[in-house]
Amino acid sequence: MQTFLQYTILGLAIGGSYFIAASGLVVTYTTSGIFNFAQGAIAMLAVFTYWQFRWGWNWPAPLALLMVLGVLAPLLGAALYQVVMKNLRGTSEVTKIIVPIGVMLGFQALATWVWNPTSSTPRQFQKFFGPNAFVHFGSIKVSWHEIIAFVIAIAIAVGIRLLFVRTRSGVAMRAVVDDPELLQLNGGRPERLALISWAGGSFLAALAGILIQPMIGSAMSAGQLTLLVIDAFAAAMFGRLRSLPRTLAGALVIGLTTTYVIAYFPSKWTWSSSFRNSLPMIFLFIVLIVLPQDRLRGATVLRLRERFRMPSIRTAWIAGLVLMVVVFCLKVIMERTAVNTLTLALTFAIIALSLVLLTGFAGEINLAALSFGAIAVIVVYHFGTTGSGTAARTTLWGILLAAVVTALVGAVIALPALRLRGLYLALATMAFGVFVSRMVLTERNERDIFGLKFTIFTAGQLTIPKPKIGPFDFNSPDAFLFLCAGLFAIIGIGMVYLRHSGYGRRLAAMKDSPAASATLGMSVVRLKLSIFMMSAAIAGIGGVMMAAQIGTVNSDRFDILLSLSLMMITVVGGIGYISGALFAGIFLIAFVQMLDLTLKKFAVDYSSIEAIFLFFVSVVTVLPATIGITMGKNPSGAVSDIVAGLDQIKQSKPLVITLVGLEAAIWALAATDIITNWHFVILTMVNLFIVPVVGGKILLARAMRGVPKPVPPELIGIDRPFTFDDLAEMDRALDLEGVVVLSAETVREGATGVSA
Amino acid sequence: MSETHYHEDHGAIADAPLIELVDVRAAYGTIEVLHGISLSVPQGSVVALLGPNGAGKSTILKVVSGLLQPTAGEVRLAGRVVNGAPADELARLGLCTIPEGRGVFPNLTVRENLWMATMSGVPLADVEEIAYARFPRLGERRKQLAGTLSGGEQQMLSMARALSVNPSVLLLDELSMGLAPLVVANLYEIVAQVSQEGVSILVSEQFARTVLGIAQYAAIVLHGTITKVGTPAELEDELSAAYLGS
Ligand SMILES: Nc1ncnc2c1ncn2[C@@H]1O[C@H](COP(=O)(O)OP(=O)(O)OP(=O)(O)O)[C@@H](O)[C@H]1O
Ligand SMILES: [Mg+2]
Repeated sequence: MQTFLQYTILGLAIGGSYFIAASGLVVTYTTSGIFNFAQGAIAMLAVFTYWQFRWGWNWPAPLALLMVLGVLAPLLGAALYQVVMKNLRGTSEVTKIIVPIGVMLGFQALATWVWNPTSSTPRQFQKFFGPNAFVHFGSIKVSWHEIIAFVIAIAIAVGIRLLFVRTRSGVAMRAVVDDPELLQLNGGRPERLALISWAGGSFLAALAGILIQPMIGSAMSAGQLTLLVIDAFAAAMFGRLRSLPRTLAGALVIGLTTTYVIAYFPSKWTWSSSFRNSLPMIFLFIVLIVLPQDRLRGATVLRLRERFRMPSIRTAWIAGLVLMVVVFCLKVIMERTAVNTLTLALTFAIIALSLVLLTGFAGEINLAALSFGAIAVIVVYHFGTTGSGTAARTTLWGILLAAVVTALVGAVIALPALRLRGLYLALATMAFGVFVSRMVLTERNERDIFGLKFTIFTAGQLTIPKPKIGPFDFNSPDAFLFLCAGLFAIIGIGMVYLRHSGYGRRLAAMKDSPAASATLGMSVVRLKLSIFMMSAAIAGIGGVMMAAQIGTVNSDRFDILLSLSLMMITVVGGIGYISGALFAGIFLIAFVQMLDLTLKKFAVDYSSIEAIFLFFVSVVTVLPATIGITMGKNPSGAVSDIVAGLDQIKQSKPLVITLVGLEAAIWALAATDIITNWHFVILTMVNLFIVPVVGGKILLARAMRGVPKPVPPELIGIDRPFTFDDLAEMDRALDLEGVVVLSAETVREGATGVSA
Repeated sequence: MSETHYHEDHGAIADAPLIELVDVRAAYGTIEVLHGISLSVPQGSVVALLGPNGAGKSTILKVVSGLLQPTAGEVRLAGRVVNGAPADELARLGLCTIPEGRGVFPNLTVRENLWMATMSGVPLADVEEIAYARFPRLGERRKQLAGTLSGGEQQMLSMARALSVNPSVLLLDELSMGLAPLVVANLYEIVAQVSQEGVSILVSEQFARTVLGIAQYAAIVLHGTITKVGTPAELEDELSAAYLGS
């Protein structure tokens, strides 16, 4: 009984903290329509900052609290809204999800940079009034901290309720959800309300973090804290991002069950702590499944700022060929380590292809691509290899089996989530990803499953040999490089074929409007299920290749944060393009690594200004996230810009010839060892990026002076305003001269009446 | 370009008009839907915008209310150019807009809806008093969610806001949408009274008959341009042509 009470109180306190974080989510979502994935990261930053003030610099607690909760957290939230989130109006759901994820990853990298996790002294974070401040109720002993946490949670629940009902600003916040324009017509300021609510949401996140950190009783870890408050997502979803009482109920249930699991599961169940950690995610998954579906909104199809053009099948084949040739040329001049990096980049590009298929083609979102990779790797490890030692190889059957299993797992995840769309499906996959990380990849003990002795993640790491397919052995690094490049090209070309087929058009239709597609008699369920399975299989194959390239992988390789980074960078590259996936792989693996190595090399070479280079090494860790955050400004992705630039260049034959000739010359110099690979890389960058940009600018300027580039008729009205001259032009083209009702002249003259 | 046609034709209005549009163009994204609109609303008069679906009537009202920035031309309120002023600022300065078909916040109660009207400066008690006096039905339902009111009651609620905030300019978009003729006639009676108190009113309407009964002037909007302006009597012939979409 005593244990029960003790744990109940702890559970209520933890649940209360979850509620505080969740209520922040509700408030920001209410006024801005953006689900703040960075909520946990804000809490994490607050915990570290508070630690810095309180124990790093020994400030008194009230002052540290005032600084963090009263000043910094609200400022951070307001700045976040003003600088980043405000720009997300009119972007697609994917962008609205990716940008906050970028913020989350950025904060994460920032915290690791400022508070180096490998520093010698572990950071201790204590409860309010110290670790020994208890109150005794009869025989049970309750820490003041837990009481404070629970009381604050209740106070906040009441406070927000009063705000929403009793104050005009609060009612106006609810009015914003209904109709921001109408509120403006009433004289309200929706933008300012959103700003205030983001400041408030950030305050609540910070408060939750400071309350919860000492209660979970482990060392401060940026990654863990970020994901910990994500547990509040489940509570927020239980309240459907609207109802505060339900959110509170959900949070308390989660808090209580997780503590009861610790208290009452037999200690010989080695998996119970993993289970406790994944419980909120399981809860989130169940809530998402039983959640009544939001009405499909077919009527309000927004005009989005994103636009993707699919290449023709011929272009796809040519691009595939070019890729192979480029990879070959690079291989000739590259060192072994560089080849390895390039191969790894290509394997990530294959995983990113699964995202292009799912999100770019079908508009669904998977935030846990690498978790599917992990499952495929487990399958291959257990069932898909032959031989041992250096003769060990992954078999074709192993890879195919892994693809089938991941596809099936994909179906299991997608089936319940099929009714869901956008944000909800994204959260469901994220729940799955965290579940895999916390529950499956921590399974190192031998289990007796139905009489079968089995260890899922043996010794915390799995060794995957290189594949051998029929007579072809891909054990050598070069052969494996070509395998990965070929695989990427083939899957990519296959996807272009798919996109051009009737199936692909149905996907595009579903992406635009599921409701309309259903009305037209399409089986949206079959379509979604099949695309999700295909995507999962591709992620699985990519995951196996990734593991085979690395050799021995541990669970960190499949971390949910890495999945999120990959998704984000693919969106940055252009989620609608095959080349967007290539961009993601190259950028995330090769480019970041190259920058990192280059800067570290410089730091060694020029040790007097070492600090400057090491600073930039840290900057590089924040770089991908920073780029992700800028997505709001350019939702079609970088590839679309490059494509637009290429279109300009293609117009000028001399420029194309110069570029290709120069590049060939640079390559020849490198191949004959006249210049080093460093020079090759730098010259190539100059040649391929700077020359086209400058050349393109010059061409553009010349084009501006002359006749403007004609806009294809189907894009009139999209690329530039539709004018009455266009109408006349179109009428002429269609031989409708006599039918014209309003010619440009009658319009310009204004009220001259209507010609019959 | 700034001449407005009926000034010359009728010479009726000597004062500076309260609302004046001069060669206004507006676009959604890159699609231009208003191609040079010139129009003025004299103080205390009712001007009706008539025209078929998609002609651009609502867009004209959006430009005046500040929800949509014109891409060219000028919008003047009481002689001052207000291009670029945000809608909420104009609202607080005395411009009241009842938008198309959705003048209420469905998830707020009747009373909370009225509360939102107080942002233009009138105390809640006054707003409630005026609203319930004019529409006793609303008084009975002050705790009910506006989304659950009948269409007519919802329109009463949005009219109640227009009446109680004491505006100098009233913009009405399709007051009649989905309402029984009797209710429409009733609402327009109120609009006529309001205009007699000196409020300048610009109203967009499909149902020409009802609104022409109270409007001093009407403008026919077709394909984003004004094709004819005049008194209701003068427009009789044009109207049928406009609606047949010639
Ligand atoms: N938000 C928008 N985005 C893009 N185009 C729009 C938008 N709103 C209106 N339009 C277009 O602008 C044109 C004018 O629309 P508007 O709503 O002003 O017409 P209206 O005269 O009020 O018609 P109705 O009588 O049907 O209300 C239409 O062609 C419409 O399709
Ligand atoms: Mg309209």
